[in-house]
Amino acid sequence: MNNLLAVDAEGVTKTFGSVLAVDDITVRVAAGEVYGVLGPNGAGKTTFLRMLFGLIRPDSGTVRIFGRTWDEVGVGVLDGVAGFIESPKFYPDRTGRQNLAGLALLDGGTRPGLLEEVLEIVDLTDRADRKVGGYSYGMRQRLGVAASLLREPRLLVLDEPANGLDPAGIRDMRALVKRLAGSGLTVLLSSHHMEEVEEICDNVTIMSRGAVAFHGTIAELRRMAPDPGHVLATTDDARALAVAADHPEVTVAPDADGALVVTGPRPAVSAYVAGLVRADVELLGFTLTQTPLEALFFMLTDDFDHQTLVRPVREVALR
Amino acid sequence: MRRIIIPVLVALVAIIGIGSAVMAGSGTSSVTRARLERSLPVSFTHLYVQQAHLLGHTGVTVASLHAKAMCDKRGPDVADVGPGGDWVGLMSWDDPQVPMPPEGYGKFELNVHSNDCFTASGPTKLTGYLTINDKSGREVTNPVFEFDGCFDPQGDNTATGHEFPSLTSVTSTTLTTDADGGAVLQLGCGTGSQGCSGTVVVTDGKRVLGQMPYSAKEESTTSLTLPAPVPATAKEVTFEVRPDTGAGPSGPVTLPVQRG
Amino acid sequence: MSAARPGVVSALRWELRKLRAQHRARVVLLAALLAPVPIVVIIHGQSRPPKDTLFGRFAPDNGFALALLVLGFASQWVLPLLVAIVAGDVFASEDQHGTWKTVLTRSTSRGQIFVAKTLTAGGFAVVMLALLAASTIASSYLIVGHQPLTGLSGQVIGSHTALSLVAASWATMLPPTLGFAALAILLSVWSRNPAVGIAAPVVLGLVMGLVGALGGVEAIRPLLLTTSFEAWHGLLTQPRFTGPLVDGLLVCGGWSILSLGAAYVLLRRRDITGG
Repeated sequence: MNNLLAVDAEGVTKTFGSVLAVDDITVRVAAGEVYGVLGPNGAGKTTFLRMLFGLIRPDSGTVRIFGRTWDEVGVGVLDGVAGFIESPKFYPDRTGRQNLAGLALLDGGTRPGLLEEVLEIVDLTDRADRKVGGYSYGMRQRLGVAASLLREPRLLVLDEPANGLDPAGIRDMRALVKRLAGSGLTVLLSSHHMEEVEEICDNVTIMSRGAVAFHGTIAELRRMAPDPGHVLATTDDARALAVAADHPEVTVAPDADGALVVTGPRPAVSAYVAGLVRADVELLGFTLTQTPLEALFFMLTDDFDHQTLVRPVREVALR
Repeated sequence: MRRIIIPVLVALVAIIGIGSAVMAGSGTSSVTRARLERSLPVSFTHLYVQQAHLLGHTGVTVASLHAKAMCDKRGPDVADVGPGGDWVGLMSWDDPQVPMPPEGYGKFELNVHSNDCFTASGPTKLTGYLTINDKSGREVTNPVFEFDGCFDPQGDNTATGHEFPSLTSVTSTTLTTDADGGAVLQLGCGTGSQGCSGTVVVTDGKRVLGQMPYSAKEESTTSLTLPAPVPATAKEVTFEVRPDTGAGPSGPVTLPVQRG
Repeated sequence: MSAARPGVVSALRWELRKLRAQHRARVVLLAALLAPVPIVVIIHGQSRPPKDTLFGRFAPDNGFALALLVLGFASQWVLPLLVAIVAGDVFASEDQHGTWKTVLTRSTSRGQIFVAKTLTAGGFAVVMLALLAASTIASSYLIVGHQPLTGLSGQVIGSHTALSLVAASWATMLPPTLGFAALAILLSVWSRNPAVGIAAPVVLGLVMGLVGALGGVEAIRPLLLTTSFEAWHGLLTQPRFTGPLVDGLLVCGGWSILSLGAAYVLLRRRDITGG
């Protein structure tokens, strides 16, 4: 049982009318791992996750969860699976506790005390007796996590859990997900923020326009990442450009706003900056444009910012 | 999805409507002459006994009344089937205290609904007005002035064989003459089994002016031109209907003459 | 998770909890219980009886006739409306709240949810009808009285028999009422919109009633859901006839099975993309 894949989706395709939402994607998530599905909005992540839960039927391909498919066992395929897709929805005229109690009925009951435990975990114990209609977005998001934990899942699927939250909410949610991921649970996390997954995920699939754009470990992804770009502000941009001629390993070019952007391996960039100082060019600012993974993410999903990404990206192997 | 809801609902309603229009005429209605002829006397009998009770009339029972009805929907050219407000029921019954008129029946107007129920209003001369005074003098609702009844849509539909003759009546209320003394008489032929035919004898009080043969279908009227001019001195003209088929008025009808 | 597999019963309990908390459902039941009282009082006080409805001419002075008059009125659009307020909403409210994905990602199958919701709507219809009938009969019995009733063959029906016949007549409203519940379920599953689920059955009921009242549509009249609303007439004639009641049972059964079958297929095949 241990080497059974938590999720084994193979060749899954779904079209809505003439729109190809998910195009022949294959995702395998081993039991116990924390897996990220990344992609910009509209990339097909949510459709894929809905297919995991049986909310949407794939046109072709198979989805196995812990070795079983919908066709074989029906809703039993969701035994040990929990999570939410997009923002979790509840009955607004029922309290948080009533909503959870109702969902517990649909689970076939829970062990005594679990409801209070999960409310505690998501820090909603104080608000549990208020109607969900009055909850803030973040509270509803946390109630969604609580509703998932109520199933004591082996596989937890969270779709953009931090989406729409304020900075404090994002911080809390990320901490919560990290804690859950650390507890040995298999977690499938979707996001359109690289930074959200890079810390906690072992493997990632990056989706773009319904298809898989990258598939592998975070380490592999890092190796593919482009050099970081920095925006350079100087007293004399012309001199700065001239100095760049002595440093062939770095590329310096003005962006659309006229600001200079420096790209290159870190030691070479350091050497270039030292050269600027030696050439009496005063350095006013030196800021990172994007983290390397973010840059890669945008490259892979064709959604990158051409102004800040200087190095040609097409040399990066996509698979 | 949402945008198509209203058009689809409208379409659904239209389909039912058009479907009904297409289906119209096919199938046979459960509202038939035979069922009405069986149902109307039953309701009437029960209610008439109630009325007799209120009035203090004795000897009127469900068994003694022998009510019989003949029903007809708008004239001889219309099939006697289907709901409508144009049904007529002719009914006879035996109550020594309320003898039938010479034609032998009273005429009820029926409004028959598609749900196999009907509303009947009685001939007030025989059944009385909306309210009656009961035996203790109180004003009470007359149960047979107007009443409802329902019948089994799957009930016996074989003909009852009940028939009553049409009643010929003079529908003109005055006799209008032209410059030469010529005049026209209107005759009506009521609901019944065979229509009306016979002769009308015209007199001006002293002498016979002539005879007019007539023939009319049920529920129709006919105009008869007087065989001779009305004498200039005549103030009234009397008509005596002598029917060969159908029934006639109980006596001669006298109309005032109006010079045109 | 080692919990027992939930069944229809668990889903049903959840639906009933939601229904109990639903303001609208409580208002309907309260109205079914209380509204007959003022209606009875008003008709009782009328000097001109509403003669164009069956039993209307006796209604101001006869409790049984009044209960039957209210019955005739209720079947025109009130029963379809009251039943659709829950049946037309029980599925579509999940669309309204975006909660299909919430309930369908638990351990209860779509089929079980369907059965639970259908039973909830049907149970509500039964309770609503029972309340409305009991309240109407009781208030007209107590306020107007229990004089012998003149039946639809002019026969006099003793109080005792009349009471049971009036109750039986109200009971015959159940098949078409459940038929309308099934229709409301189908329309709400299909439209995913509670407003359509509630209003459309009422409109269709009125259209069917109108078509049924027309002459010349004999071929389809027996197939209309509203025709069964008049099958009780046979109980109040002499001799009684029950043919329309049996036919009505079959027709309502047919409507219900077709509506629920179609609704089930729609729900089973549906891709839950919203919420």
